[in-house]
Amino acid sequence: MSAASDNVYLPKLAVLDRVVDEIAEVKTFYWHFENPDEQKAFRRFRPGQFAQVSLFGAGEFPASLPPSPTEHDTFFTVRNVGSCTAALHQLQPGERFAVRGPYGNGFPMNQYAGKNLVFVAGGIGLIPLRSCIVYALAHRDQFASLQVFYGARTPRELMYRDTLRQWEQSAGVECHLTVDRAGPDWSGHVGVVGSLFERPGVQLPVANTIAFVCGPPVMFRFVIKDLLAMGLPEACIVSTLERYMKCGVGKCGHCCIGVAYVCVDGPVFTYEQIKKLGEDI
Amino acid sequence: MKARILEPARVLSIVDRLRSSGYEVIAPFLGRGRDTFFEPVTDANRDRIQIHLPNPYYPPKRFVLPHIERLLRIHRHDGTYDIEPTCDHTQRAIFGIRSCDVAGVYHLDRFYLGREFRDVYYEKRRKNLFLVNVVCTDPERDIDDACFCVCADTGPAARDHFDLQLMDLGDEFMVVAGSAAGEAFIDDPMFRKATPAHLEKRRQILTEVRKQFKTTTSWFPATVRYVSQDSILEKTWEAIGNRCLECGGCTYVCPACTCFTVTDRHTGPDDIERVRMWDACALGGFTRMAGGHNPRRAVHDRRNRRFFRKLAHYFIQRELSMACMGCGRCVAVCHGDIGMPSVVEMIRRATAPVEKLPPAAQTP
Ligand code: SF4
Ligand code: FES
Repeated sequence: MSAASDNVYLPKLAVLDRVVDEIAEVKTFYWHFENPDEQKAFRRFRPGQFAQVSLFGAGEFPASLPPSPTEHDTFFTVRNVGSCTAALHQLQPGERFAVRGPYGNGFPMNQYAGKNLVFVAGGIGLIPLRSCIVYALAHRDQFASLQVFYGARTPRELMYRDTLRQWEQSAGVECHLTVDRAGPDWSGHVGVVGSLFERPGVQLPVANTIAFVCGPPVMFRFVIKDLLAMGLPEACIVSTLERYMKCGVGKCGHCCIGVAYVCVDGPVFTYEQIKKLGEDI
Repeated sequence: MKARILEPARVLSIVDRLRSSGYEVIAPFLGRGRDTFFEPVTDANRDRIQIHLPNPYYPPKRFVLPHIERLLRIHRHDGTYDIEPTCDHTQRAIFGIRSCDVAGVYHLDRFYLGREFRDVYYEKRRKNLFLVNVVCTDPERDIDDACFCVCADTGPAARDHFDLQLMDLGDEFMVVAGSAAGEAFIDDPMFRKATPAHLEKRRQILTEVRKQFKTTTSWFPATVRYVSQDSILEKTWEAIGNRCLECGGCTYVCPACTCFTVTDRHTGPDDIERVRMWDACALGGFTRMAGGHNPRRAVHDRRNRRFFRKLAHYFIQRELSMACMGCGRCVAVCHGDIGMPSVVEMIRRATAPVEKLPPAAQTP
């Protein structure tokens, strides 16, 4: 093995193909590796994993992988929050950056075979969950039922609108959307994500269920409370933790909480584990 | 293990032999006052190498994990980039590394080379490293007031993970090989065979030396247990945290700390290098994410983090040792007197299950 392929810190060149606006300050970046072998190797990623994205001169940042391996496209959805993400937001199609990964444990989708999957997302929390929802739909016969509960502050802040429309029309998944504040263009439900559980006709299965919860800290806390009150065990609630990450491979120490290095032991944890780690979400 | 005997006058010929066979040799030198440091040996400074001296504060860890290390050189041209990893392949020997620091290097081996990913930068440096350990035998010059290797079970004489070990027996030096490379090295007429009498003398000296330590804390096992069971009260962590000035000094001198940060810097209009540098979990920005959210807020959160990471049973199992080598450097540099022995003591005093004793028997 050559020294280069052995080097976990060596990012591989990637080309930006196109950019799609999602919501304010959030864009989706479609890209591919310059080297087709890298592309093939990378495409073995699992839902819930992430990658380290390099913008030379600005640095590196961790980005979840919103596509499912069952889809053809490879892309990141990134909010413009810091100098590295800003550099990506400025990149033009055809320009180069670099990527290494995939990293992290990902969701153990095989272990969830035969179960009811409940996805609860708030705001950009849909980014890491998008992958497993698409994956579950592509392997629909492996799961008992699929439900998506997704909320944003306003209708304009709903992510992946085309995909949401597809889910709403699909017979394979029950998709419930809500916004905190409606506008004239919104005829759907209004209220926090948790209020969707009480809507007439909504039946949230408690037995044999895995609930995926991702979203802002406040939403997370309330949804967890709701789910626990319904009788869902802590071990059946899963989420992904976001941390400041420098290396992605368990060495730099930045992502370490309790006994876990989020980049290698996570980012997927059950609520039972998260509670034991004992830090803020 | 093979033991050999060497005349004191010939000890530095070990350095000469290493140098002439292509090693860059690092050795300890005396500065002014208590100041001591490791530096590459040259013809000019060779005769000033010290065998007995207080262990330098700036640990020799930096020869396997430099304070600042370039990872990649990146050159931009015609809309694309050349990315070149830059590993250090220097053959290097550290002469006079103390036992606590030998244990520190082994700890780093477990961390950087173990688990899912190997760190090639560390690996390349480590593979080319030859360690000549010196046993601390002189209570005046070798052993600092703050040294507590006897408690961390790493010294004053390392048991393994060195290539050669030198020990001053008074009028002679004992040389022990700890690796195949070390054995090959002592297979030379310059060394004599050691006799059982030499081994007995070594044992006696070590027994005596172990009594010379001023800092002792026998509470490591209890503290490890309290830390791992999460039975330390919030107010104890707070009391420790309140004394931390967040200078990062303890991390800077620690032979076992592993954290780093990575940053890109421009070296020319089209040239960038990606470097990593030591980082400290005690510093405020360590876990702050882009956008400002910081899940670890209070200083005691961060302080705890460091001691938790060093003492929790989970990590001890993973790396096969606590991440404290007993070198005493944090004791010497900490302005708030929360070096490891004080912390162990504070935790133990506050956490020992005194409530199980009858009230009269309780001690504060
Ligand atoms: S801690 Fe022990 S091995 Fe390290 S310098 Fe002090 S006496 Fe020597
Ligand atoms: S990101 Fe470096 S250890 Fe996890």
